[in-house]
Amino acid sequence: MTGGSGVTGRSQSSLAGLLIRVFAWLPVTFAIWYVTAPILLWPAAFLAELIGRVTWADIIRGVEQARAELTFATTLKAGSAGAQGGEIVVGVDLLLYSFGLPLYAALVLAAKEPGWPRRLFAGYAVLMPFVAWGALADFLKSIAITMGPQIASQTGFVAWQREAIAFSYQFGALILPTVVPLVAWVVTHRALLERLRSRPGAA
Amino acid sequence: MLRFFVTFIVLQVALFAAELTPWAQQYFVVPWTDALATISAWLLTLFDPNVAASGKVLRSTVNGFAVSIEAGCNGIEATIALVAAICAFPALWRDRLVGLGAGIAAVQGLNLVRVISLFYLGQWSMKAFDWAHLYVWQALIMLDVLVVWLVWVRMLPRADVAGGGRSGPAAGSPAPASA
Repeated sequence: MTGGSGVTGRSQSSLAGLLIRVFAWLPVTFAIWYVTAPILLWPAAFLAELIGRVTWADIIRGVEQARAELTFATTLKAGSAGAQGGEIVVGVDLLLYSFGLPLYAALVLAAKEPGWPRRLFAGYAVLMPFVAWGALADFLKSIAITMGPQIASQTGFVAWQREAIAFSYQFGALILPTVVPLVAWVVTHRALLERLRSRPGAA
Repeated sequence: MLRFFVTFIVLQVALFAAELTPWAQQYFVVPWTDALATISAWLLTLFDPNVAASGKVLRSTVNGFAVSIEAGCNGIEATIALVAAICAFPALWRDRLVGLGAGIAAVQGLNLVRVISLFYLGQWSMKAFDWAHLYVWQALIMLDVLVVWLVWVRMLPRADVAGGGRSGPAAGSPAPASA
């Protein structure tokens, strides 16, 4: 950190300008994300359904998307063992796992780099599997942990699998939605980062 | 570049897994979260006497509205991301420590603003509270992490970044040329 005095005024204003433009874009991108979520998040819903129905075919009977909510219909029965209860349905809010999209979009639009539509689409494509991850982990956490032992016992998950589900849920809810967009942005804007870092006399 | 990202991801997962252990929860996360609530209450009482903290709960003594600081709202995950990003980037440990000190202070400072703003936002409108709590502030805190990291990287001595650092990998600059 000893080289701070070498920072140019131009690069300082570049970073400040970038930040100002991000803040200008954020309300716009958040509004677009919220309004278009049913369409925007369809690929994530599709992925979650595909992976869910292939991997846990004995548990998941069907998956439906209504606006930004994904509903998992299961073969699990409510009520005590032996009693005839209704089938368990679990709802997952996709917005909880996709708020990184407007952040990524605001960063891309604020950066104003050539080929920004391509960068926007690349980030969108990268983020979708992680939204699906969050949704699936949320569903699994509900049936394996949150809904109690009566439901969990029907899933057949053993202790280490419940631990893995808990970790996947926490990671998918607390880390991935915010870290993945930033990583995607850094990867797609390496040239900009290099310019922001440039100094007099440097290459 | 690849080395930076692999190190970043490994550190991110390892630190997050460590945070979830009962030991870390008992001796670090819970005391940290309680301290956050206490500091928030202390700051608030400077201009609003009707605020009290109990454990991780911040409460209005006037209308009973309370917010509980939970995982994801205590700034620890954002701090983990910053620590992973700074430690993964090639630099001298001296520079990393300066970056970590200033960066963690910046992230936690903004997190205090988040907690306090949510406390008042919730008393005004629960819909606004939910939006800010679940989406907007999450994004802003991570944006803070990115900005802090960018500022730190830009302030690194050039030789440090270019591979001259004693503790850094030889070609870890995010520049396309060295990727």
